[in-house]
Amino acid sequence: MKSGRRRAERLEFGAFTLPILVSIIVVFYYPFMMTIRYSLTQWNGISKHPKFVGLDNFKQIFMGDANFSNAAWFTIKYALAYIILVNVLAILLALVLDMKLKSTNWLRAAFFIPYILSLVIVGFIWKFIFMQGFESLGASTGWGLFGLSWLGEQNLAFISILLVSLWQSIGFYLVIYIAGLQSVPDDLKEAATVDGAGPVRRFFNVTLPLLAPSITISVFMALTNSIKVFDVILSLTGGGPGGTTYSVAYDIYRDTFQNNLYGYGTAKALILFIAVLIITVIQLTIFKRREVEA
Amino acid sequence: MKKKRDWRIILLEVVMVVISLIFLYPLFLTIINSLKSFSELMTDVIALPKKLAFENYSYVWQYINYPRLFLNNTVVTGLGLAGIVLISSIAAYKLARTKSRASSLIYFLCIMPMLIPFQSIMLTVLQMAKNLNLSESTWGLGLLYWGFGAPLALFIYHGFVKGIPREIDESATIDGASGFRLFFSVIFPLLKSVTTTIIIIDVMWIWNDFLLPLLMVNGSPATKTLTLAAYTFVGQYTSDWQYAMTAMVMAVLPSIIVFIFLQKYIVKGVVAGAVKG
Repeated sequence: MKSGRRRAERLEFGAFTLPILVSIIVVFYYPFMMTIRYSLTQWNGISKHPKFVGLDNFKQIFMGDANFSNAAWFTIKYALAYIILVNVLAILLALVLDMKLKSTNWLRAAFFIPYILSLVIVGFIWKFIFMQGFESLGASTGWGLFGLSWLGEQNLAFISILLVSLWQSIGFYLVIYIAGLQSVPDDLKEAATVDGAGPVRRFFNVTLPLLAPSITISVFMALTNSIKVFDVILSLTGGGPGGTTYSVAYDIYRDTFQNNLYGYGTAKALILFIAVLIITVIQLTIFKRREVEA
Repeated sequence: MKKKRDWRIILLEVVMVVISLIFLYPLFLTIINSLKSFSELMTDVIALPKKLAFENYSYVWQYINYPRLFLNNTVVTGLGLAGIVLISSIAAYKLARTKSRASSLIYFLCIMPMLIPFQSIMLTVLQMAKNLNLSESTWGLGLLYWGFGAPLALFIYHGFVKGIPREIDESATIDGASGFRLFFSVIFPLLKSVTTTIIIIDVMWIWNDFLLPLLMVNGSPATKTLTLAAYTFVGQYTSDWQYAMTAMVMAVLPSIIVFIFLQKYIVKGVVAGAVKG
């Protein structure tokens, strides 16, 4: 009797959890194992038997792959600039929108709209603006700013990609910070005013510490998204000019799907995974420690 | 003193509205240029169209077979979403209620993949999909989203189910409900707010997703998604900007319309998802 009930319980446990297990194994664990396997081979994706080469791919990547090291530098620079700018700008905007302006609802919606659009499309829209729009704007305003080659010069192309990414996603960070600010009790801010703290000191001593949870979430999201940047570059610059705006994710895509270096590309993919893993673990440990202190 | 403050607030308000208009100006330019003829677009991008060229729309509509793409997107998003919500909610409930080693292990295995970047496995996912006959099919693509969306959904549901008192299950058991019936009639309705959050995050993600559809269903026009078709179309029409602009407006307009109507829920859902996730 008892063992019968236990079996029924087990069956039910299986019925509830098997679907998710199977779905996740099929799209994550099985491909992940295969990635590890292929990273140890030389393979063009066509031949039946990939040739086992041990750790040669990894050696080659670390010893002398200019494409990979350039892409890695690009990604690190991009991620740092993006994380800092998106958070600083979003906090500033959120502070303004928290002042209960009459247009707050409109402003929040306006800044949020690009976030609901596909990044590839956003890249194309901006390509049009940079190429055609700036020409007309330059002609009608006479400003030299519009005459620059925003997608054709290496440093400007970097700035363009950064600007477009910020434009697309700032609304997301903005609403997180607005929610964070709304949870800061008004009487705390008022108490600080009574104590004679000016707006700047009030911000740094009262508001900013209370925003800490929102900052943690936002930095985490900004990091995970920027380290994988791909779509927007694909449609905005296509890696150009002269291959200077390839990110790591785009470099992997180029090797596997455009150069048919399947084994080599998956080795790079594995390196990206390990980098993401290490960064996430470091960040979560710092986050945990801060939580304990608070 | 009071008056001076008001004056400053008004100035700030005006400045902010101007900034927001500049912020949205690229979208405005996209829309007005989608309604211009080729020669008009080439002479001046920032001028308003003299005559509305709706023929751009009918041309692109037919050329990319818009209704078909819209249907494909709906099938992929709908199927993906239904699966994610179903498999994650039932698993979250069982895993949160069962205290055993197996239960913790399964939970851990299911949320771990949140750390795996898609680009690390994209090649092998494509191969696996080909082996299982899931590539080149909108249904197959929808099915793949089950696994890709499940870790985050499980994580969010799990945190929420833990807050539902066990007494609710127990009283339902006394009433004779058990298993799936207990879950769907008693527990699932209590998860409504989290389910909304998950739906909002996942619809925005799947509807706009690019890389997975590019790898899975790029071969034939019958299986393409909206974003994918706009991408290929723009690639072909790099000089005919008016058609490119039209295709982009057609790709983003559904999202913008939905956003205008459901703005409050979308913003709330996105915030809730980020804070819990």
